[in-house]
Parts: sequence; structure tokens; C-alpha cells
Amino acid sequence: MLEARDLRKEFGELRATDDVSLEFGKTDGEMVFIVGPNGAGKTTLINLLTGLLEPDQGSVVVHGEENGAPVEDDITGMAPEERVRRGLVRSFQIVHVFEEMTVRENLRVAVLSRYDKTLSMRSVDDSHEEVETEIDGLLERFRLTDVQDEVAETLPHGDRKLLDVAMSFGLDPTYLLLDEPTAGVATREKEYVIETIVEASEADGVTTVTIEHDMDLVKEYADRLVVLHEGAVFREGDPSLLETDSELRRVLLGVNE
Amino acid sequence: MSRFLVERDGQTRVRLSEGMELTKSQSVLAVLGLVVLFAVPDITRLTSLSFQAIHRGILFGLAAVGLNLLLRHTELVSFGHAAFFGVGAYGAAVLASHFDVSSGLLLLVGSVLASTAIAVLIGYFVAGYLDIYFALLTLAFNQVLYAFVLQSGYFNYSDGLSVRPDGLNPPTLFGLQWTSSGYDLILYYFTVVVLVVSLLAMWKLVNSPFGRALDAIGQDRTRARFVGIPVEKYVWIAFAISGVYGGLAGGLFALLQLHVSPEPTLYAFVSGEILFMAILGGFGTLVGPVIGGVVLVYLLIQAPFYVEYYNALTGLVLIAVVLFLPEGILGSIPKIGTGLARRRSDPGLLREDVATVGSSLRRGVSRAVTTVRIIVFGVN
Repeated sequence: MLEARDLRKEFGELRATDDVSLEFGKTDGEMVFIVGPNGAGKTTLINLLTGLLEPDQGSVVVHGEENGAPVEDDITGMAPEERVRRGLVRSFQIVHVFEEMTVRENLRVAVLSRYDKTLSMRSVDDSHEEVETEIDGLLERFRLTDVQDEVAETLPHGDRKLLDVAMSFGLDPTYLLLDEPTAGVATREKEYVIETIVEASEADGVTTVTIEHDMDLVKEYADRLVVLHEGAVFREGDPSLLETDSELRRVLLGVNE
Repeated sequence: MSRFLVERDGQTRVRLSEGMELTKSQSVLAVLGLVVLFAVPDITRLTSLSFQAIHRGILFGLAAVGLNLLLRHTELVSFGHAAFFGVGAYGAAVLASHFDVSSGLLLLVGSVLASTAIAVLIGYFVAGYLDIYFALLTLAFNQVLYAFVLQSGYFNYSDGLSVRPDGLNPPTLFGLQWTSSGYDLILYYFTVVVLVVSLLAMWKLVNSPFGRALDAIGQDRTRARFVGIPVEKYVWIAFAISGVYGGLAGGLFALLQLHVSPEPTLYAFVSGEILFMAILGGFGTLVGPVIGGVVLVYLLIQAPFYVEYYNALTGLVLIAVVLFLPEGILGSIPKIGTGLARRRSDPGLLREDVATVGSSLRRGVSRAVTTVRIIVFGVN
């Protein structure tokens, strides 16, 4: 389980994250969706959890088990790449891929890194069979096989987004934090992206934390809903809150009922 | 198919070892390059070309190959690679003049050790920086070293140190004391071997997972971090490797010149030249920097005999490369090759080229006329 404990982050006068305490992955493969209006602090929270930002206060804790006894691992202050090695993986709202590499090469970097082979001096093309097999699997799952030899910067936006998410999956995450995985993806593809994430999270017991603006997707797929508002946790609970909680609807959609 | 020939993407490739393959035209170029390299002493004897100048060019080119690891892969511009070249040269010179080490190979070991140490030290401080900050920091470290050597009696100030261990003879090579011309020849062939081995090692490196990780860092540092690559550590390692190449080149330079002074080895201007060599030869290629090194050094040594403002020549060449050959000499060959092949099969293209040149000339003239009218008459 991944825990945010009293996290606070200020940018000048603005408190972007206001004493947020949350737990993710209470059950295996839990799908948590974070929603909230623009500027609610959703991305900042993910940045704090993954180590792109350090909190002014509070801590990030990974709960595990050792010899049957529960152990707490405080990862506050740990470098992002160290967190990745502990299974804490993210994708980005603005696509971050290796632009001059092909789709396959992009995935290869991720999978090689996960197998701890980035210091290897053996040729990338011929060796590392298990890596290539795994890349084939990822390509198929994300329907990127046909464009595997295309250079990333030449891909249409939807494919770039899929590649970004596919790379995250290539890292074999325990916790996958997705910052708007469907932003800019064609409507018919949205369902597919989320579907893939659900499938993977169920198959491998991956806990996902997803920022999403499409409430239909949230209602359909969320196990649990977290609503952020002005940096703080505004609501937490079942996605049906979206239907029943009128104050929540007002904050989220600007709807007065 | 024998074990040296493989089929890939419908092309026959020459396979040297796992993952190291050349296309047919690349193999031809490589063999041609090797033949030319080995024939340089004979070529220069038969023509008026300068043997020394080519040898020096190859050495600076080797340093540029090292710099290119950072430039091409991690996309970091180092303005301080003379630091490693100079420290390499001084490493050999100090051993020769202060410790009377007479073996050329031991002097080279000293070069490599000294430059590695310096590269590891500087790399530690610069690995976290990007873009202009990285460039300026490397430049600053370079200048600090230069100023230090220039002011230090141990390094004999601006006069520098001799690389003649007994004050008279050059160092021994392979345990033997050679005559002057024999020494130059043996050292040249040794340089060729070092160059080929260094290029093969670099080739292996950039095609390894480590090379890909460096590419990843260059293309998107944030993403690299978030696929689990320890970015600063890898940049540090690449920086150190890059420094080893510079030091090796500097050590051989000391053996060739038999005298090391700060100005031609350590001065920041030399750093700029090493950077320019990589760009001139084609920094998108493995071998380009060597060609850039030979061309530029040759130009710098020979130009004073022909033109008065020879320093301006470097600038003009740089401008010409950026404008007309942005991919450098070697980097442009494939483009020029396909361009020529297409024009041979389709002569219509050539007519279009002429038309394009003509219309852009006309545009230029009419623009100039307009400008002149505005200047002279105040209106168009």
C-alpha cells in the first residue's frame, strides 16, 4: 500500500497540496481515480508521490510485508529512479517519450531498465531475448505492433499517448500513477486505453491512481474516488458520490442544483 | 551465408561481431578509410601534404570522438574538452621530465590515469547541469586548469615541459630507442591502432543498452529518470569515458610533439576547436569527428602559408558548415549520394535544381533592389 501522509506543498502563496493524507492499494489492483477542477492540485500530488517534487511537510510511505510482519518504508526524499525500482511508476499528462527513437526502441529502454540491464555492454539488437519477447507483448497489448518501427515524434497523438502508457507498463509497476492517460486520445480509443489499464491492473494486481476528467470513465471503472479541491481532499469514497453528492457536483462541474 | 554476412531488412550486411554490422557501402568506406590511414606516410612522402599535420589532426579527432559521446548521445555541449587533452599531454610530460620515465607506453598510461582522474572530478560537478550551464561549467573548469598550469613552476609556466626523458632523445617505443623518422613512423602506426580500437570500443558502447540509456537521457531527461535510469550517474560515467578519449589523444600528442605547453593543449580555444571538429566531420556519425579533426587541424596549420587572415578562415568554414552542411562532412555523404543517384535516374530533377537556384537568385536581387530603394529614396 502507498500512503501519502500529511503532504503539503506550497508555491509562494499558493498551497497546492494542503495536508493531504491518502492511501492507495488497500486491496490488490485497486483503481483509484482522482478528479477535481483545474488547479485542484492533482498533478502536484502525483509529482509529490513520484519524487518529481519534494513536499514541504509530510511523507510518502510504502507499506509492505517482510516475513509476515508489516513494514513501513519511508521514501520521502528518494530519487524518482529509486522509486521506479520499488514499483512506483508514472506517466505524464504531456507525453514524455524519447522522440527520436522508434516505438520499439522506446519500449526497449524501459524494459532494459526494468531488467537492470542499462549498464550492459552487450549489443541491444541481438541479445536480451526476454526483453524483446516482452516488448512484443507490450506492442500487442497497446496495438502498437504496426507502428513499432515509426519514430515517436512522427506518431499521431493517440499513439504517442499509448506509447507513454505502454512504457509505464514495461516497468512492471506495483503502483501506477497515470496523469490524464486519455487526454487528447480519440473518443473511441479512450475506452480502450482505460480498458487496457484495468486489464493489466487486474492481471498483475497493479494499484492504479488515475487523474481523469471524463466522468463517464470514472463512473464505469473507479473502485474508489478521490476529489481534490484547492489542494485538499474534498471527498473520498464510492464513485456513486458523483451522482448523489450535490455539493460535489457543484465543485466539480460548476452545476447548481 | 557465412558467419560474417547476414541478411537484415533485405540488405546484406557485413557482421564484425554481435550487433556490429555494416551495410555494403559502409564496409567499402571503412576498408577505404583503413587503407588510406595506413598509406598516409607513403602518400605524404609522394605528395606535398604534411605528415605531421595529418597525425596531429587524427589525435585531435580522437579527442573529438570522445566529446561526441556527450554531444551526440546525451546531447550535452562540452566547451571544456581541452582540459582532458591537456591533462593527458601533461600527464606524459610530467612523467618524462620530472620522473625520467622513458617508456612511451608508460607515459601514455600516465596520460590516461591523469585525464581519467580529472574527468571523474569535473564530471562529478557538471553531471547535474544542462544546456548553457553545462557548457559554461565545462569551460570554467577548463580555464581554471589552464590558469593553474600557466602560473605553476612545476609545469614550467607558459614554456611547458619537454617529453624527452633524458633531455635529448624521444621516449622509447616498444622498448626500443628509434631514430627521429623511425620514431614518427612507429608512433603514427601506433596511433592508427589506438584510433581503430577506440572507434570500435565507442561503436560497441553506443550500440549497447548503456548507449541507449545515454540517448534516452539526451532526448528526455525527465522520462529517462522515470524509467528508472540514474541520470546523473550515467552522465558522469559518459563524461569520464569521454575524458579518457581526450587524455589518450593528449598523451599521444605529447609523444608526437615531444614538448607540451599550455597554449596548444589546454587553452579554452582548443576546446572550441575540438567541438568544431565533431560538428565539421558530422556529429551524427561515429567516424565524422576524426575527419573533422584532420580537416580542421590541417587547415589551421597550413592556412598561414597561403592567406593572411588565416584565423578568419576557421570562422568562415564554421559558417559554411552550419549553413550548407549542417550534418557535417561525413553526415552529408548519404544525402549527397542519394541526391546524385536520384538525379542520375531522373534528369528532370536537375532542371528543377537549376530553376530553384535561378528563382532564389532573382528573389535575392529583387529584395536587394527594394532595400537599396528604401535606403536611397526613403520609399520603395
